[in-house]
Amino acid sequence: MKDSVRTITETPPELSGCDSEPIRTPGSIQGHGVLLVVDAATAVIRRVSANAVEHPSGGADRLIGSSLSSVLGKVLADKVMAVPPGESPMFIETTRPRSSNGAYHVLAHRMGSILLVELEETGSGEPAAFDVIYPVLQSLVSKLLAAKNMPEACAVAAGQVRELTGFDRVLVYQFDPDWNGIVVAEDRNDRLPSYLGQRFPASDIPAQARDLYRVNPVRLIPDASYTPVPLRPADSAHEPLDLSYASLRSVSPLHAEYMRNMGTAASMSVSIVVAEKLWGLIACHNAQPRRVPFHVRTACVFLGQVLSQQVAAHSHAEQYTSRMALKSYQSRLLAEMAGESEFLRGLTADKASLLNLTGSTGAAIVSAQQCILIGQTPGEAKVRALSDWLESRPPAEVFWTHQLSAAFPESAEYADLASGVLAISVSKLHARYLIWFRPELIRTLSWAGDPNKNAPDIHTGRIHPRHSFDVWKQIVRNTSEPWTDAQIEAATELRNHIVGIVLRKAEEVAELAGELEQSNKELEAFSYSVSHDLRAPFRHIVGYAELLRQDEANGLSATGKRYIETIIESAQYAGTLVDNLLTFSQMGRAALSMSAIDLNLLFQEGWREQRSDIGERHIAFAVAPLPTVQADLMMLRLVVQNLLSNAVKYTSTTPQAKVDVGYVSEPSEHVIFVRDNGVGFDMKYVGKLFGVFQRLHRMEEFEGTGIGLANVRRIISRHGGRTWAEGEPGKGAVIYFTLPKNEPQDKETHG
Amino acid sequence: MAELKPILLVEDNPKDLELTLAALERSQLANDVVTVRDGEEALDYLFIRGRFKDRPRGLPAVILLDLKLPKVDGLEVLRAIKSEAATQTVPVVMLTSSREEQDLVRSYKLGVNAYVVKPVGFKDFVDAIQDLGVFWAVLNEPPPGAVRPQMKR
Repeated sequence: MKDSVRTITETPPELSGCDSEPIRTPGSIQGHGVLLVVDAATAVIRRVSANAVEHPSGGADRLIGSSLSSVLGKVLADKVMAVPPGESPMFIETTRPRSSNGAYHVLAHRMGSILLVELEETGSGEPAAFDVIYPVLQSLVSKLLAAKNMPEACAVAAGQVRELTGFDRVLVYQFDPDWNGIVVAEDRNDRLPSYLGQRFPASDIPAQARDLYRVNPVRLIPDASYTPVPLRPADSAHEPLDLSYASLRSVSPLHAEYMRNMGTAASMSVSIVVAEKLWGLIACHNAQPRRVPFHVRTACVFLGQVLSQQVAAHSHAEQYTSRMALKSYQSRLLAEMAGESEFLRGLTADKASLLNLTGSTGAAIVSAQQCILIGQTPGEAKVRALSDWLESRPPAEVFWTHQLSAAFPESAEYADLASGVLAISVSKLHARYLIWFRPELIRTLSWAGDPNKNAPDIHTGRIHPRHSFDVWKQIVRNTSEPWTDAQIEAATELRNHIVGIVLRKAEEVAELAGELEQSNKELEAFSYSVSHDLRAPFRHIVGYAELLRQDEANGLSATGKRYIETIIESAQYAGTLVDNLLTFSQMGRAALSMSAIDLNLLFQEGWREQRSDIGERHIAFAVAPLPTVQADLMMLRLVVQNLLSNAVKYTSTTPQAKVDVGYVSEPSEHVIFVRDNGVGFDMKYVGKLFGVFQRLHRMEEFEGTGIGLANVRRIISRHGGRTWAEGEPGKGAVIYFTLPKNEPQDKETHG
Repeated sequence: MAELKPILLVEDNPKDLELTLAALERSQLANDVVTVRDGEEALDYLFIRGRFKDRPRGLPAVILLDLKLPKVDGLEVLRAIKSEAATQTVPVVMLTSSREEQDLVRSYKLGVNAYVVKPVGFKDFVDAIQDLGVFWAVLNEPPPGAVRPQMKR
């Protein structure tokens, strides 16, 4: 999901015309040659450049309508007419018309039904012919092919083009994805200043110029102060003449002015096209006017093509190398993640790899529970706001932009830290993001220093590279270095791995849940069978022993009777134990059914039920005014019974037994306690008090199965309350429980 | 002596059978007790078929029905009794060892009249049976040993 953030180019008003200039149909040519426009079928001259008048053929207008052979002679004209269809101008031959002193290179190319014939003046002292260039070119190409990397290839090519052309300065200029340019290599003498590292805004080479450079690989302006030569008849009388491929095409007056302001009188540029896209230019400048003959230009085009191949090859190699590097970061991260239970934490174990993976300076791991910041990032609140914004967008596995503020304006305040953002979403269900941050490019550059500092300060005219840099700085405000395909891929792969881990964990959890459900079922089956099958034999033992005691009493000795009593007592105890166990398991399983319960009534009723255990004893019982609560009646009754029967039981040896029920109202909960002055307990055992089958007293002292308080704790915790106890041996005990004042929710899930 | 309707006791476990009979005896009920040993027999008795096809007409005063029975279990028997017009008026008491809530809920849904979890203690069991008798069997001044179990083999 590519976020297409458009650069809003602030073009200065004086340059705003650039984009709409008809550069392919200027209606004029440069003056270092003559243009003849010939009908491809009849060889009749249809149009000429106005300077043809200075040529032996006589007045320009007189040429219109005459045959090409009347100007070039039959032999040459036939050669010209034989030019096959194709847009690159072809070199026909160098001619020396009898009527002129100079020699001309004859170039021709077809445009539909017409032929464009260019007669380009030869310069003095230029290499006489191609055969001079070839051996040189051969060694140049082999050197260029030997370059070890892209910067080296660019530097070699710059040197070679300067060697071939003799320009004062040759630059290799590379476009970024937004068509801003940067000078990546340079070869020069000291006549012109260095532009190495200089950056230019996209507006310096407008879109229609870039289009033209992509299809026509070379441009030459031998003298920037030339006077354009108009066509005869003018374009207004004809279809505008397409001069896209003509060597003599006149350039934009703005461009000529720009050149003069750069202090360059002559320029040439050769296109570097990689994968059918304009990658950059080899740009040549000269302080003085300079001609470059056709065959030298052709050699430069050839070098440009070799450089294009080199760039493609090296960039593949670089991508491969960087992908390998990214893979190693990735595997390190995965290894860390695999070793962590909270696997996202694993990402933070190797911070360098996490940042290197995408070439970032900061990262954040954001989820509902946490927000981990690594390296240079905006603050947590800002990062959270950013992840909320990401969440509000259409779902995407990966999001990236190198101009965040264009898409998310409020991020402009931290553009210096995070103009570039690359984010992966690691959960479909929850907002969980891993976000990388990249600083603003200007900030990065300012570390390297302003490349313009050493440029001469020439304040002439409106457009100047010096201004270019300022313009460029304006354009790339709130912009980071763009994310490369390899980095985006690495992030995407990491995401897939993370999602894989998440899925695997989810499967593990599901499997565990399945096992848990299975064991719950087994537990249910177990308690069911205990309920049925274990109770029965105890019942039978008790029943038959009773029958024996009642019906056969006469035949039993005193010892026999004692044995029977013990059998009955033991079986009865075992049965009670089973019943209590079942109750305890039901406390966990049964759903709560809430109703309003008056605790005063519940405690009074509970106390009445203790009567048989109290028997002849007198216990002072007092209940403070108690509230009405929301609870499960059956379960809360069990709590009250347990607490009161404990109080009765443990005061059985106390002379003046007292049991009282107290109440404290807390803001969010009711606190109820049952206090007795019985045998109490040692606080060091308080942890055992509420455990299942934990007894703090010997069997023969106080009977009980040790499950009552465990039940109390379980019931109260299911109501969302708490239980605790205080005691002192010989002084008594207080058991506290609380119930929430808001509607209690069932705190335990049960199958 | 007025003709009392019998009590139908459906119980597969011989120990439970004996103990229940002992409890009935001690609870001073004057009714006869007819015992059957599984759900199928219970239904045969009620619908006067199978080996009971020749028995005198008439329905029991109360059916004491064990929950866990071979062949046709207690809940099925209960369902059959309560879905037949002829038998649905007969009170059914589910006697069970089970303390499982689900069994109780199902029984009540099927229209059981009472549900007694047999206590471990024998005395408690006798008390429970006695309470039931007050409800569903007609009390007489019974002579000692008035219970006449008609054990069918």
